[in-house]
Amino acid sequence: MTAEKITSGSDDQGAKKKLGIGFWLCVFWLTIMACVALFIPFLPLKSPTSNFVDATQGRPPYAPSWTHWFGTDKDARDVFSRTLHGARISLTVGFTAITAGFVVGGTIGVISGYFRGWLDRISSFVFVVLLSFPSLVLAILLTSLIERSLLTVSLVLGLLSIAPVGRLARAATMQYADREFVLAARQIGSKDHQIILKEILPNVAIPMSSLALLGMAVAVVAEGGLAFLGLSVEKGITWGGLIQLGSDSSRTLEDAPWISFFPILMLFLTVLSLNFAGDRLRAFFDVKEAAL
Amino acid sequence: MRFYGQRVALAILLLLAVSMLTFGALNVLGDPLFNVLGPVAGDVNNPDSIKMIEAAKREFSLDRPLPVRYAIWLSDFVRGDFGVTFSSTGQPPVSGVISERLPRTFTLVAMAQLIAVFVSIPWALITASRAGKISDRISTLNAFFLLAMPNFALAVILKFVFSIKLGWTPLTYVGDDPLGSRLFQMLLPALTIGLPVAAVYQRLLRTDIITTLQQDFILLARTKGLSRSRILIAHALRPSLFSFVTVVGLNTGALIGGSIVAETVFRIPGIGSTLVESVLRNDFPVVLAIVMIVASSFVIINLFVDFAYTLIDPRVRK
Amino acid sequence: MSSHVTDESSTEPLIETVGLRTHFITPRGIARAVDGVTVQIRRGQSLGVVGESGSGKTVLSRSMMGLLPRNGVIREGSIRYGGIEIQHRSPKQMRRVWGPEMAMVFQDPMTSLNPVMKVGKQVTESLQLHLGMSSSEAMAVAEKVFRDVGIPEAARRLNQFPHELSGGMRQRVMIAIALACGPNMLFADEPTTALDVTVQAQILDLLSAQIKDRHMSMLLVTHNLGVVAGYTDEIAVMYGGKVVERAPTKALFSNVKMPYTEALLQSIPRLSHASHSRLAVIPGRPPDLVDPPAGCRFAPRCAYARDLCRREEPELIQAESPDHTFACHFPVGSPEYHERREELSRMPAPLLGRP
Repeated sequence: MTAEKITSGSDDQGAKKKLGIGFWLCVFWLTIMACVALFIPFLPLKSPTSNFVDATQGRPPYAPSWTHWFGTDKDARDVFSRTLHGARISLTVGFTAITAGFVVGGTIGVISGYFRGWLDRISSFVFVVLLSFPSLVLAILLTSLIERSLLTVSLVLGLLSIAPVGRLARAATMQYADREFVLAARQIGSKDHQIILKEILPNVAIPMSSLALLGMAVAVVAEGGLAFLGLSVEKGITWGGLIQLGSDSSRTLEDAPWISFFPILMLFLTVLSLNFAGDRLRAFFDVKEAAL
Repeated sequence: MRFYGQRVALAILLLLAVSMLTFGALNVLGDPLFNVLGPVAGDVNNPDSIKMIEAAKREFSLDRPLPVRYAIWLSDFVRGDFGVTFSSTGQPPVSGVISERLPRTFTLVAMAQLIAVFVSIPWALITASRAGKISDRISTLNAFFLLAMPNFALAVILKFVFSIKLGWTPLTYVGDDPLGSRLFQMLLPALTIGLPVAAVYQRLLRTDIITTLQQDFILLARTKGLSRSRILIAHALRPSLFSFVTVVGLNTGALIGGSIVAETVFRIPGIGSTLVESVLRNDFPVVLAIVMIVASSFVIINLFVDFAYTLIDPRVRK
Repeated sequence: MSSHVTDESSTEPLIETVGLRTHFITPRGIARAVDGVTVQIRRGQSLGVVGESGSGKTVLSRSMMGLLPRNGVIREGSIRYGGIEIQHRSPKQMRRVWGPEMAMVFQDPMTSLNPVMKVGKQVTESLQLHLGMSSSEAMAVAEKVFRDVGIPEAARRLNQFPHELSGGMRQRVMIAIALACGPNMLFADEPTTALDVTVQAQILDLLSAQIKDRHMSMLLVTHNLGVVAGYTDEIAVMYGGKVVERAPTKALFSNVKMPYTEALLQSIPRLSHASHSRLAVIPGRPPDLVDPPAGCRFAPRCAYARDLCRREEPELIQAESPDHTFACHFPVGSPEYHERREELSRMPAPLLGRP
């Protein structure tokens, strides 16, 4: 009898089977952000580009107050409004990128994992090549060469996620492709595409979808990094861009830290929610951490 | 020996593929001629402009087909001639720019990695031995928060707190300072990059240590009357390091990416910030050279990680 | 606690337990792994503890050495070593005892030795810690101990890793580690189960010789009665967390009292049996430690059980001498026993299967 295996507080075991209140708090926050992103034109916000110079307060930037909840920047633009507008681009890019990545990467991964052979070797090699660049470097390289619109930036980030997603999908597919129920399906004459759709895909989709939130967090952070460096959507208001504007000069950062800090806060809360909720989902579906 | 040979051959193949991809992307998606001459490149009706265009084409071999240009570039590159920067007046050779700035980035990344490793190991040991207790749960929460903060945001916050408010570190990097001072100036940027990575390492190592602690040989070590700390450090740590070593190696890429951001925020003239500047200026030779250097380091480090395995696990040595 | 215990000639037991209970708190309830065990071992004496898996024998040895975790474990009863109560000592206090006074040899030497540490170091570690030796002194002692336990080319072996040694040699290393600091009490937990049959006897001989030479006491835990037959002075048979019979080895084999022990004896395959004889088995499974049956715990599987057995738990009573105790209402040799045997022999398929 292995008496010594009964230890106090086995940390992961209790939490596995329920999602917990933390999860739902994160979902709540993400839903709010999603609504902001979608319904911005309809929200009663001040214009993000107008200057609200107020002679009575002296020269901008103005500290947070009842009229400007997050204060204003050097050009007296309302930080609150700009931050919410930033949510729009940052979240849209993040979402589109990970969706594209999952669709393309997932497809390639499943097909290579199922059929193997030369197709698998080529796609694996392509994955490895893509993964030999630190992703930020590749992102910088690609976004510098194109016209940076919402769509193109999303596609670039999506391209970057194809390799990690593809590898995961491939590994998951290979796990299932050898199992009995697939062999059984083949026995009764199912064609390959039927097997993929009916047997493999549902099983692979579950662990993959629990990773979708984590993937989106990565995409949002990546977009933030690009925006910070000036390489995200042209003329768009993004969280990264706002943070950069607020910290570009040490004077600005010292005198008016709120210009950067509120976007930082929003970004942080969003990424935290995505990470936490994604992690909870992953534990719930019991996906092995090594696969990441 | 065959194992090593195969891995090296694969690495070289990889680098060639990377270089082709990058070279192709830069030359196909971008317009080298425009970068050299600016608007003049499109001014085909002006005979003076045409002369300049022809001169530029000859100088930079832009009239030859793409594969030829690639071959030319490649043969120059491996001999250390990275070409000249495109759009600076006076056109210093790229290799000069790089050799001046590379050591700084290298130092920064090395510092960050050292911080990450030396913070994560004790952190993992302590939380593993207290798994499930309050201190462990708090630590997990902290790690989570740290990981949710993108490194550029963390850089801004740290700069605000330590440089601006507390004044402990200077605001900008001064390249002429003595070595000690320069290293100190790199401390904050290194922390920016290193701490989140430490959280990643700690998480992984903690799990592995906990697994190792369940093994029978740990029980035997207890029956020898060894203290808890001795068991942790002398017995539990080493067998738990396998995944850790792999992750440390593989994460160097993330650290390099992070250095781009840190160098920009803290204004350190290393190849990371240079990459961004050159990209914004469309300075292709510099971009190409830096990308190749970064990718090469990445590939070489991954190669080392594979080989390092044999050092850690004597069972794999033959 | 001093590291020198009772003097050599004392007849007081070196280690004893009185009413030892070790209960585990599990999600299903409280598992009574050891449920009231009283044993004594004198200096130089060896006790074999025999039972199926789940009988509590391993938990007994670990409880006696004090190795169980603090949480989720209920301890009752007393454990005395050298006359001193150790049941409620903290691990910190026990650490001074583990090594110089008590040591344990485990079942599987492949998993019990640190795979990335040289075997010599695994021995010198305790020598340096407990006896304050320098590393060269410790190495010399380690080499001597390696030779004592029969490891050839001892000096060379010190620098090898466990995976470079054979199973038998690894077990010798484990024994060397246990003996290094000269303990008085050795716990051997199924030391030969993971080994080849040919190596088993060698290891048991080795243990036996070392015990004699060093005047040590040993508690040998095993599920195999054949193992303890030649190597222990006394045998205690455990079932369902309790000791159901205890006797000097000879007496156990010649005058077995408890039907469970008899069944165990009969299930040992012997060379004298015809080849292809069916192995005798005890039908059924060990009792649930959380919710054990009322009355005698063996009753559900006992061929000789009667109503009384299922109602009342038998107490330990003496057999032919005070050394031999057992717990059974209708032991081997009683009239009820013979009566049942008659009935069984008339049945077509005997419960204690022989062809």
